[in-house]
Amino acid sequence: MTMSATNNGFAVEIKNLVKDFRVGIRGVKLRAVDNLTLRVPENCIYGLIGPNGSGKSTTLKILLGLTTPTSGECSLYGHAAGSMAARALSGYLPEAPYFYRHLSGRELVHFYARISLVPPSEIEERVDNVLAIVGLAAAASRRTGTYSKGMLQRLGLAQALVHDPKLVILDEPTAGVDPVGSADFGKILMEMKQRGKTVIICSHLLGQMEELCDRVAMLDKGRLVIEGTIDAVLSRPGRRTLTVEGLDDEAIAAVEAVLARHGARIESIGSPRESLEKLFLEKTAASQPPEQA
Amino acid sequence: MRNATLRRLCAITANTFTEASRQRFFALLVLLGMVVAVSGAFLRVFNFGSSELKFTADFGFGCVFFFGSILAVVMTTQLFFAELENRTALPLLARPVRRWEFVAGKFLGAWALLGVFTALIFGVLGALLLVRSHELAQEAIRAGESAPWFSVQGLAIFALLQWLRLGVVAALTLLVCSFARSLLYAVTVSSLALLVCQMQGTARAALASGSNSWVRVVVETAGRLLPDLQLFDLGVPLALQPAGVPAGVVASAAGYGIFYTVVLLALAVWLFSDREI
Repeated sequence: MTMSATNNGFAVEIKNLVKDFRVGIRGVKLRAVDNLTLRVPENCIYGLIGPNGSGKSTTLKILLGLTTPTSGECSLYGHAAGSMAARALSGYLPEAPYFYRHLSGRELVHFYARISLVPPSEIEERVDNVLAIVGLAAAASRRTGTYSKGMLQRLGLAQALVHDPKLVILDEPTAGVDPVGSADFGKILMEMKQRGKTVIICSHLLGQMEELCDRVAMLDKGRLVIEGTIDAVLSRPGRRTLTVEGLDDEAIAAVEAVLARHGARIESIGSPRESLEKLFLEKTAASQPPEQA
Repeated sequence: MRNATLRRLCAITANTFTEASRQRFFALLVLLGMVVAVSGAFLRVFNFGSSELKFTADFGFGCVFFFGSILAVVMTTQLFFAELENRTALPLLARPVRRWEFVAGKFLGAWALLGVFTALIFGVLGALLLVRSHELAQEAIRAGESAPWFSVQGLAIFALLQWLRLGVVAALTLLVCSFARSLLYAVTVSSLALLVCQMQGTARAALASGSNSWVRVVVETAGRLLPDLQLFDLGVPLALQPAGVPAGVVASAAGYGIFYTVVLLALAVWLFSDREI
């Protein structure tokens, strides 16, 4: 993990960020982001969660220079958000991406590589590489207008990665993607983290966020509600979970007696279950190639 | 730095051109333009007293401007505004791409497409006029009359002027797109602006003898703000009259077109630079 001299180990720093939109003829002020302060450490997967309209996408757009903040400061690796230097360090997959439908997948990724100033001698190799990573190598010569929603999301990830950015910002990357594709996305993100990248992911799929993210920030009405590591955010102080095998009613009664002696009690008893997502992956993953996701 | 800007500009231009040239709308307009331009030769019985070559040329020139203007307005709006509406601009502008590079790339891509359109229609029209002028010359020689004049070079110069004129229309459309909030609005306002630009010379001439002063002020003001596209109508003297057009007049028309294109694009960049994407 390399650190810039000026970013103190943080990929993103947001201080007192405010964003107001003017809506309607009378220009009524709508506050989308309200005094938000956040710091995203380098080399982690960071989740931004919150209900619709909580300011997640607006915050991401401000980080990328697509929208200007009303007040506050944002920086990416020590560079002011929206500056050419900051944008060169980041890759972005917007929500529900829509691409030039008359271009093939390869042409599209090639275009974004050129725009990002990837050295001409490396473009072909990089394009092939990212298309293989996202599982679109076989469909690369097809026009994007013929792609399914899942394939468009994969293509979106490919264009976000083609210039090998230090920070990858993903807005709802798995919305509308089936569980196999979603799991593939998760694997790719984990690999990126292993390669020292920082990933900011914004999603409503909380199960996946819990599995992938090192830290999360929850926003509501533009304000930060809670922030921290997944363990710190989700742990319930004073409670423990035991999963045991072969526990009959007699043993349960004995356990309860022991617990009572220690001033504790069993809150509930149930059988652990597999998640539906895990079951889906077990039953379908082997029979479904990535291109048909 | 300059090299990086040039690379991005070339990439956006090439992508815009590729995307646009693969659309059926472009192919349809080229085909339609060619058919209508050629059909002028078969409609010469309705020449209203003009010479045959002049009628065919006028018909073809009108066809280039009519279909070219539709292409310039609709395709430029589609190329630029659809990027915002479909949000394809998001991953593009999130990269180290300046807003002016985006606007300029879109313009150059659209203008290149208009260049292809102009070259194709003028190519067909030129071939038609060349063949027919040779036939008419043979007939005139046999009848002991003077042969009609046709200059391929003059037609080529006029084709370049038409390309410049369509560039002005594309720049005007980009200016509207830079602040428009919907595709329909962008197409409607651009079309109306085009109409004003095309008709203002006629309106000024009509008002010259009139007494309604406030209408004259409005027309004069519009004339100062918006380009007068009739200044580019030099086709007949350039291609069909032996005297031709003085080089200074052609140069000033070209300079006029370039000036307005640059000014309109600068305004589009200024308006687009702070736009929330």
